[in-house]
Amino acid sequence: MLEKTLTAFVTVLAGVGAALALFWILNKVSELLPAKYEERLKPWFYILPAYAAIAIFVLYPAVQTVIYSFKTKVGFPAEDWVGLKNYQDLLGSDAFRGTLLNTLLWIAFVPAAVVVLGLLVAVLADRLATRGENAVKTLIFMPMAISMVGAAVVWGLVYDYRPPGRPQVGLLNGILDGFGAGPVAWLQENTLHFNSFLLMVMLLWMNVGFAMVLLSAAVKGVPTETLEAARIDGANERSVYFSVVLPQIKGTIVTVFITVLIGVMKVFDIVFVMTNGNFDTNIIGNEFYLQFFNNNNQGAAAAIAVMLMLAVIPIMIYQVRNFRAEEAAR
Amino acid sequence: MRITRRTRRTAVATLAASTLALTAAACGGDGGSGGDDGGPVTIWMSLDQTVVDGIQKQLDVKAEEAGIEVEIERVDGIDKLIKTKIQAGDTPDIALLPQPGVVASVVELGAAFPIDDVVDTAALEESMVPGALEAGTVDDELYGLLVSMNVKSLIFYPKKAFEKAGYEAPETLDDLTALADQIKSDGGTPWCLTMESGDATGWVATDWMEDLVARYGGVDAYNDWVTHDIPFDDPAVQEAGAYFEDVALTEGNVLGGAKAITATPFTEAAKPMFDAEGPSCWMLKQGSFFVGPDFLPEEVYANLDEELGVMGFPAAESGGENPVVGGGDLAVLMSESEDAKKAMELLSETDIGNEAAPVSSFISPHTDFDTSLYPNETTRDIASVAYESTAFLFDGSDSMPAEVGAGSFWKEMTAWLNGDQDIDEALTNIESSWPSS
Repeated sequence: MLEKTLTAFVTVLAGVGAALALFWILNKVSELLPAKYEERLKPWFYILPAYAAIAIFVLYPAVQTVIYSFKTKVGFPAEDWVGLKNYQDLLGSDAFRGTLLNTLLWIAFVPAAVVVLGLLVAVLADRLATRGENAVKTLIFMPMAISMVGAAVVWGLVYDYRPPGRPQVGLLNGILDGFGAGPVAWLQENTLHFNSFLLMVMLLWMNVGFAMVLLSAAVKGVPTETLEAARIDGANERSVYFSVVLPQIKGTIVTVFITVLIGVMKVFDIVFVMTNGNFDTNIIGNEFYLQFFNNNNQGAAAAIAVMLMLAVIPIMIYQVRNFRAEEAAR
Repeated sequence: MRITRRTRRTAVATLAASTLALTAAACGGDGGSGGDDGGPVTIWMSLDQTVVDGIQKQLDVKAEEAGIEVEIERVDGIDKLIKTKIQAGDTPDIALLPQPGVVASVVELGAAFPIDDVVDTAALEESMVPGALEAGTVDDELYGLLVSMNVKSLIFYPKKAFEKAGYEAPETLDDLTALADQIKSDGGTPWCLTMESGDATGWVATDWMEDLVARYGGVDAYNDWVTHDIPFDDPAVQEAGAYFEDVALTEGNVLGGAKAITATPFTEAAKPMFDAEGPSCWMLKQGSFFVGPDFLPEEVYANLDEELGVMGFPAAESGGENPVVGGGDLAVLMSESEDAKKAMELLSETDIGNEAAPVSSFISPHTDFDTSLYPNETTRDIASVAYESTAFLFDGSDSMPAEVGAGSFWKEMTAWLNGDQDIDEALTNIESSWPSS
């Protein structure tokens, strides 16, 4: 125990020490330069380690992934260049196209629903007395603190199914049973992607709290003068909300929407734990995992990652622009 | 498959921990590895602790007589661990590996020694369940020695009600269909078939298929099917699929109907057989691991011999080939020291399980094992299913490439049973998912 503590202590010291030493050396190097250049170049010297870290841990793997996506069985004796075959195979398979469709459904539904529900809670809770507001917000925020896999255990109990005539353990089927209706195999029912939507509900449950906190802060930040002015001008509550409050919190709404959107594109755990993509619920996060870890098909997995990356980039660019515009407006 | 799947998953979690522990042990200087160091012979296994203790106890006695010292260490997920340990050059003298595929890859890595001259193969051929030696053979040399086994080709039934209704154990697959029809005409539901298993959903169906393929195709076709020397959707497999379809999707055959198969957890399958008002379903095909407190109602587990009946999955034809599918642990010699060879010889003796059998789920692969040592009638019945079989086959999907054996085979069978495609589509899809290299 003592040995371990000491090791940990020394490691931390060494790490911090090395960082300090690095910056000290960079500082010294910059001081060697003529005074004119020193001032100009010092910031670059200071930011260099951070850029180096990004290059090593983000850019290099990203480039590597793109390269892998043109290969098969990376790291195995069978490793070989296959050109666009990974992409062709994926996009040519019905199963993968179904997976893409499901992912699109998630993208279309979840972020919008999170924003709408989050706003609703934020605005309604805002009308409550402080204590009530806190209680409501705490409750809604709580699922945020549960891990995705933990959530899957909770929702596994909600959607649990037992054959007709057996004691129903699941919450929903228990309720149906109470009304004398037969049990429904919730997660197996894929007409109109019903089961996919049930899985999306889980993500809503976890994310609405996050949206609520940010949006609530934004709603509270709306200057009361503007609201009063609108009311004095005779606006009813609905037009106050839509014409005065919403425009003033648009920036936050966009931020929440995009954060959730990027989260949705990467979603994996919920589907993996609940169905593993069976019953027509697969999404690309799970397909990536299966290809990489289960099938040892690193090429196809990399191709999926590249497609995901390409899809995320425009959103990231939009988000960065949006952020800059906000900063500039401030 | 269920068991290995679990091990696989816990392996990931415990790999780091056990690696640390083992490294520490090796650094501690107890000479755990390498063989010729004159220390005790080390054996690694991932069996249940009770089995490990039992084997150690019996081995201690035998080792003392033989003048050697043997130390068993229980490790987690040895199928993964052994490969990292081979790379690190830190191997035990003997390792018990859970699948023939793992044995083959250890041989491929050059870490195993053939044991044809170490153990008495002629006598073992005589005493072990047929097929046991073939399972441990790589490139015509014997590397893996089956030490313990489990059986999957079993049908469990509620003994009291079954006998009261006058039903009899079927001898052929046709008899089995006839029995199911009889149960239906008596107003019952013949099959308890449930297979939801989280991210591993599908293995129950692949176990069914393996048994049926072994029956319709025979041992050779089964082995060719596993190694893909015949297409996955070979006519024998289609025949197997047709039989399974008849079992699973015929109206009134399965408790809860077709939808219930994929939706109900596999752990729940046995419970309806023991309902107070009589069995809600009558037959359950599962592996020997199902005889456990997690899967059976408490009262049943407490009175196994009176409550739970077990019979072998019937043969295709009466008097014909009657293989069983199962799993087991194969001892592999990883050191050339004389002591290790001696220990290997001791492991091949029939009475090595004498202390383990009475206190655990241990089943000996030796047909001359003293069956009175098994703790109950149920275990004796399970063992005799294997002892009377014409061949012991290892779980095929474990030996298939992971994208099939733990991928498309599970998923396509699940989609078929859920009504999203027909059996032919499922088999074709699995065939096309077989990796080309």
